[in-house]
Order: sequence, then C-alpha cells, then structure tokens
Amino acid sequence: MPMRKLRALWIRIRGMIGRQSDDEDFAAELESHVDLHTEDGVRAGLSPEEARRQALIRLGGVEQTRQAYRERRTLPCMETLSQDIRFGLRVLRNNPAYSAVAVLTLALGIGINSAVFTVAQAALLRSWPAKDPSRLARLISTTPQGQEINFSFADYRDLAEQTKSLEGILAFNRRTKILRVGVESRPVLDDVVSPNYFSVLGLGPQLGRFFPAESTSESHPSVVISDSLWHRVFNADRSLVGKEIWLTNRPFTVLAVAPPGFRGLQRGVPTDLWLPIANEYSGQELADRKNREFEVIGRLRPGVTAEGAQTELDVLGRRLSSAFPAADKARNVALISERERLREVMAPTLFLLTVVGLVLLICCANVAGLVLARADSRRKEFAMRLALGAGRVHLMRQLLTESALLALLGAGLGLLFAYGLLRLEPVLMPPAEVEIGLDLHLDASVLVFTGAAALLSVLVFGLMPAIQTSKISLVSAIKGEKTGMVRSVQRWTMRNGIVLVEIALSVVLLTASGLVVRSLLFSQSLPLGFDRQRHLIYFDLLPGVAGHNPQHSAAFFSQVRDKAAALPGVRHATLARRVLLSESGGGTQQRVSIPGVELPQGQLSVPIKFDAVDGNYFRAIGTSLIEGREFNSGDSPSASPVVIVSRTMAERFWPNKQVLGSEIVADGVARQIVGVAEDAKINSVHETSEPYMYFPFAQLPGGEGTLIVEAEDNTPALTGRILSEIQRVDRNVPVSIRTLRYLMQQAFWADQIAAGFVGALGALGIFLGTIGLYGVVAFTVSRRSREIGIRMALGAEKGDIMRLVLGHGLALAAVGAAIGLIASFAVMRFLSTLLFGVRPTDPLTFTCSSALVILVALAASWIPARRAASIDPMQSLRME
Amino acid sequence: MGEKSDVWQGTLALMALRTLETMGRQHGYGLARRIEQTSGDRLQLNYGTLYPALLKLEQEGFIRSHWGLSENNRKAKFYALTKAGQRHVKKAAKEWEETTSILARFLAPAEEA
Repeated sequence: MPMRKLRALWIRIRGMIGRQSDDEDFAAELESHVDLHTEDGVRAGLSPEEARRQALIRLGGVEQTRQAYRERRTLPCMETLSQDIRFGLRVLRNNPAYSAVAVLTLALGIGINSAVFTVAQAALLRSWPAKDPSRLARLISTTPQGQEINFSFADYRDLAEQTKSLEGILAFNRRTKILRVGVESRPVLDDVVSPNYFSVLGLGPQLGRFFPAESTSESHPSVVISDSLWHRVFNADRSLVGKEIWLTNRPFTVLAVAPPGFRGLQRGVPTDLWLPIANEYSGQELADRKNREFEVIGRLRPGVTAEGAQTELDVLGRRLSSAFPAADKARNVALISERERLREVMAPTLFLLTVVGLVLLICCANVAGLVLARADSRRKEFAMRLALGAGRVHLMRQLLTESALLALLGAGLGLLFAYGLLRLEPVLMPPAEVEIGLDLHLDASVLVFTGAAALLSVLVFGLMPAIQTSKISLVSAIKGEKTGMVRSVQRWTMRNGIVLVEIALSVVLLTASGLVVRSLLFSQSLPLGFDRQRHLIYFDLLPGVAGHNPQHSAAFFSQVRDKAAALPGVRHATLARRVLLSESGGGTQQRVSIPGVELPQGQLSVPIKFDAVDGNYFRAIGTSLIEGREFNSGDSPSASPVVIVSRTMAERFWPNKQVLGSEIVADGVARQIVGVAEDAKINSVHETSEPYMYFPFAQLPGGEGTLIVEAEDNTPALTGRILSEIQRVDRNVPVSIRTLRYLMQQAFWADQIAAGFVGALGALGIFLGTIGLYGVVAFTVSRRSREIGIRMALGAEKGDIMRLVLGHGLALAAVGAAIGLIASFAVMRFLSTLLFGVRPTDPLTFTCSSALVILVALAASWIPARRAASIDPMQSLRME
Repeated sequence: MGEKSDVWQGTLALMALRTLETMGRQHGYGLARRIEQTSGDRLQLNYGTLYPALLKLEQEGFIRSHWGLSENNRKAKFYALTKAGQRHVKKAAKEWEETTSILARFLAPAEEA
C-alpha cells in the first residue's frame, strides 16, 4: 500500500505543474454532471431552471467542489511554498542589480568558508586513510627533551612482539628514489614500510597482492605503487603487476597497485611507492637502537581503550629503557589516539573557521543592509498586502523565502567558487619535482557544512528584516510615516559602525597588498648575478648512481658536454656541480685558510661555500668576470690547482690588494686565484652576498653534476635532442630536466604567493566595504526621501542633493580610512620580515590605498546619490 | 459535516469501487445515483464529495477514466476499475465485513449474558 500512496503523492506533485488543462478538464466534467442531473430532473417533470437549481444544490456548490478537487489533486502546503518561491524569484528578477550583488556577496562568504573548511578537513580533521581509523593510534617516544615521533627499528620490533593491547603495529619511513621509465628519470617519494603496513591499515590492493607477512631480503625486491603513479606514469597498465621497474638503478618487481585515493600516511606529501624495510636496510642498521628513523602507528584491539593500551605501553617502554640504557635511557612510549589527535587539531581548526566565519558574518551584515534598504522601500507594498488580508505570518514567510532563495543561490555559486579556489591548489604549491599537495575535494561533509553556512546566513540576514517588516503599523505605513524612529536610529548607527570597520579593514588589507606587491616588484628587479632572461636548460645527471667511479663519471660528463655543444641551436654547453637558486643550491662548504691574510677572530680557517664549474660557465649563464679568466681545458686534474673567487670574497680578504695570483688553501689543497667573478645569488633571492668560490669541474671529480645548456631560443625539441644524446652516451645514468624559468618560479614562489594572497584579501575587503557602504547610503536615501523632497521643493538643486548624499558616503569613507591608516601603521611592522626594498610605512602605498578606498566609496555612493537627485518632490511630498 | 465526511471518504471510496465492479464503467453522476439507489435511498450524497474521492482512487491506480458518450449522447467522463482496483475491492470488502461483524458483536443486545 505505501507504493500506492507514493504513486498518489508523485501524481499530486506532478499535478502542481500544467494545472491549466486539468482545471478545464474538471470544469467540463462538472458541467456534464450538472447537465445529466438537470436532464433527469426535466424528465421527472421539473422546469429546466428548477431542475438545474436542484442539481447545483445537490452538488454542494461548484466552487467548493472545485476547491476540494484541486486540493486533492495537488499538495496544498507545497502549493503555497511554490507560490512563495515563484513570487520571490519574480521579486529577485525584477531587481537584477540588487539580487546579483546580494548573491555574489553571499557566494563569496559561503565559498571562502567552504574552501577553508575543505582545507581544514584535509589538513587537520580527516582521519587516517584506513579502515576503522578510530582504532588507529600513533606511537610516540617521550624523552626528557620532549616528544619524538621516530623509533629505532629494534625498539619498534620489540614493541610489536610484546604488545597485547594492540593487534598490529606498523612502521614506515619516508625516502626518495629515482624512477626511470623509458628514457626519462624522475624523483619519486617512497615509504619504506613494515610488511604488515597494509594489513594494519585494513586496506586491500586494487591489483595484485600486498607484501607477504614475513618478507626477508630478496635479490629481486618487490614494490607496491600508488594509484596516482600508476595512472600518471604507467597509463593504468593492468599488466604492470609482476613486471620490473627501475628505481635508482635497481630492478624491482611490481607486486600490487594500492587502492585508489590512498596517498600514504603523511598529509600533503603523497607517497608514490612502498618498499619493504628488509630490502632497504642492512641488518646492522636495523639493529642499531640509536638509529631512529621510523614512524610507528598501531591498531587497538577491539574493546581495548587508548588508556588501557597506554598502561601496557608504559610497562613495555620502561622495560626497553632498562634493557637498553645506552640508547633508551629515560625514554618511554606514549600513544596518541585518534580522539586525542582530533582534540589537538581542534584549536587551529576553530581559529581558521572563526576567521572565515567573520568574513561570512560581514557578508551577511552587508546583505542584511541591502535587504533592509529594499524592505524599507517596499513598506507600502507590504502594508497594502496586509490591508488586503495577507497574514503577518504569511508576509514573514514570504520575506524569509526571498532570503532563503538568495542564500540558496549564494550557496550554489559559493560551492562553484570554492571548487575554483581548490582547483588553484597546484598553482599555489611551491614548484617541486615531486608531486605535493593536500587531497582536497568537495565531499558530503563539505556540502553539509555549506548548507549549514547558508542556513545560518538566512537566519542572520533574513530574520531581522522579516521581523522588522511584520511589525509594520498599517495606518502609518500607508500614510508614509516612518515608524519606530528610535529603533531605526539605533540600527542605523550600528550599521554605520559595521561599515566603518569594513572600510578600515579594506584600507589595512589594501595597504598590506600594496606593500607586498611593491616588495615583489623590487625582488624581481634585484640583480641575481646572472642573466635571468636566457634560455637555460639544466640536465641533472647522476653517473654515480649508475655505478660509475669518479674517473668514468668525469669522462661521461665531458662526453655529454661535447655532444651537446655540437648540436645546432646550442650557444654554450657547460658543467656545474650545483645549480644556483635550486634545492641543491650549494650549502656545502670547504674550510679555507689564506696564507698571508689575517682571518677574523684569529681563526685558522673559515668555511666558504663553493661550486665546481667547467669552462664557459660564466659566459653561459651570463655572470661577468671582473678580473682574470674563465677555466679552460688546461685546468685538468693533473694541472696545478686553480680557483675563481666571488667579488665579495675578493673584497673581504684582499681589500685593495692584488687578488689574481694570490693563493688559498681549501681542504688542504693550495689553489691559485685565476679570476674574480661577480657575486651571484646562491640559495635565495634575498640573501646578502657572501664569499663564494669556484673550482674547475675537472679538478673536483664526483658522481653527480649538471649539464647546463644555453639555447638560442626556447625550443622544446632541443631538450629532446640533448636528452637522446645523453642516453646515447650512457642510457643507465638517471637524468632529470629543469629550466631557468622553473628555477625562477621556485625562487619567487614565496613572494608571489604572499602578494597573491594578501592581494586577494585586499580585493575582498574593498568589495565588501563597497557593498556595505552602498547599502547604508541607499538605506539613508530611502529614509530621507521626504526630507529631500522638501529641500527640493524649497529650491535645492539636483547638485545640492547629490552633494548631500555623496557627502554622507564620503564622511563615512574618510573616517573609516583614517581608522584604517592608523591601524595600518600599527599592523604593518609585522609584515616587515616579508618585505624587501620597501619600508612598512611606505607613504606612497599608504596614500594610494586610502585614495583608492575613498574613490571606490565615491563610486558606491554615486548610485544612491543619483537616485536621490532624481526624486520628484511632488511625489515624495504627496506621500504625507 | 467535517467529521462525518471524513468517515464517508473511506466508505464512499469502497462504495464507488463496489458499484463500478458490479455495474461496469460509469460516469460520476450515474455512479452517485447508483450509490443512492443501492442504499435504498437512505444515503443522501453531496454529489460534489464524490469527485475528490474518485480522483484519489485514480491517483492510487485503482480506477481509470476517459471521456465518452452517455446513453443520451451527452459527453461525460467515465470511470472503470483497473486490475489493481478489482483486487483491492475484494480485499477491502473482506476487511470491511470483518470489521462490521466484530462491531456487530459489540453492538448486539446483550442476550447471552
């Protein structure tokens, strides 16, 4: 029977549309009923009129019957709702500017909230990516110095063997490997894991099988790859399981593909592969209790509480500590349950959500302002409807429906906006050779959150106008009197306050973004010591990994350099041990002593960073030589050791002296200075120059280096040709490719993100401030329309009225901007660590931001001012 | 009237279904008259109440309707039982008999006591 009821319900819902023809159909049926009845009456001897009269009486009234029929055909409550919605939509459509601004404002507020909630969810709230994650708990090691998350393998193994409250404990450690597919090599992130890793997590493979329970070192080690790597690199090839892949020049057999979406246990840094511990460490390394490398996660046995497990781990930890005092003295083991973890992340989550919640609140205040301004101009409409018999409840419901429609549209658009924001994530992450980033997606919990945010906004911005309106006093409203003057004055000042805060805030944010943008421009104009416009391609080569000894490596390097230099389109080809401004930018140092030069504080030697470069290096990257010569083929391993020093090094140790020909001793090798090069940025764009030195590439043999090619123009084909030349020399050497463009992106990433982020906040601030100001000014204009009418009747010109309204907007903006400027002075010094080449009190930026805000305020007041000036005095006075 | 008509809605539907079962297809007016006749004119129907009841039965799939011509060549909407309706009449009639017989025992004069 419920099926029948459902069927009936469905038909009734359908009945709400296309009712016109149904109504006509029933009218015809009733008509035929009355005709049939009348006919019978006539046959029984009544006059036609009398027969028809009786038929209608027996029917019980045509209208009543129709009403009863209609109610049965559709759902009456839905009927009114759909009526309200249709009316609301019409109201919104009739005021497109108002609706668009309100919806956009809400969409911004809700969208930002949803996006931040998604980030908080991914970064903080989401549980372990495992089955029944509430039973998983991280084990940590407590020491007198604090807590550590890493354990030695031996301690881990003892804990795993002895625990009874945990049904399984897994260990893992993050490493990187180089994956070679075809001719290309790329770095990948791997987790070295205990064999029970997947079974403790309760995960099954999507292809193949996971590690056997007891795995020992194998000659042909096995590997599990992530779903993401499987798709990215292997095109989801189902026949991959059982095949070999090459990792850092060893073959591994692919055992399985991890389930889709599983990215390992570290948030933000997804794992590409999993390898069993036994293959990656020697027995000696694993036995060393001081070698703490492994993170440890345990699964509580069903029914065992975290407290119970903690008691047992306490005993086990003390046992370890007394059994192995050399490594584990004063250490103990603690457990962080999922509930405890959630409690710990609650504070940052709440902080984040409060901040964006405030943004939503400001958005709501703005929309409430707009709704009130409109409700005020609709007072007569409402009063008229009340007078015509609409209930106050109905009026409130109607207004709330309109607000709910706004919120619904806002939430929909907000979700789209949030989706767009989340799609930006890869752009916002620092450029890196491995894939990093949080697992961000809009899931059901985000939808629920968005819904709640929208509902909350309706309550905040919709309820007050609705209540206010339903209190309209009939007579005075129709007469055009403004009721509740005292109340509305209070409201007015509170709303002025909100607008002042918004304007002040937007001045602060604009000032901040101005400063950050100027700092970025300054950074980008800084001399780097080399030419950032050149088409430089870097081929990072690791012949050492391929098993070459230093002599072989040296031969390999000079071969690829010569091959590359001979290609058409190549201007210069050179070699370097390290690349400026890259991750491997050169932190290593050699201790240098200088005969005949007094070192600071009487030290015998000082540490100085260095690079090893080949001939043509300075010419290729565009660093100028101040004195002397570049290296050349004469600077061979057997020739006398030489060095080129940086300008800062020359000025520091040989002020006003002859540098060329002087001698230094670096790592026990005496070297003669043959040149002085301009300073270049080594690790960061913002570093101050420090002494730096260059050795001939050939005189510092090693298993790694970079082939640097200066191309004539930006042609990707050249990269491919050079790569195949390298492969032809030795196809076992791992290669990864970078460009100068990429390095520059990496180097300026932090500045760009800061500028983008603060700039976006500034734009948001000024947008909200504008809406708020517009709402207040428009509201005042509608409130004062009678006064304006009187002024005009008394001879005020349109220009006077415009000035009056603009003056009001400008006064608000000026006060807000003044507050904002004072606040900026106080706040900007916190930015000083982010700023380069611009002072936190830069007067130009301060002037510009406040001028911009005032200008925008002028524009926001312009529309209501125009409306005020176009008031017809006769009409506004007739309202009396 | 309100309370009474509520009670009638249920029984009226059964009467209409039963009448359609015995008489075959009928238009609304004919159905109303027939119900009155069957009751021995003890029922005075407000004819208007019949139509929402018929609509409900149609929505539930027990009857279907189509326009046709009456015996006097007048256009009228005819109602007929569906398969589901036929099953439903049997079931509902049985349930109703059950109910009335139980109720009859309660309302019978207390002779046996």
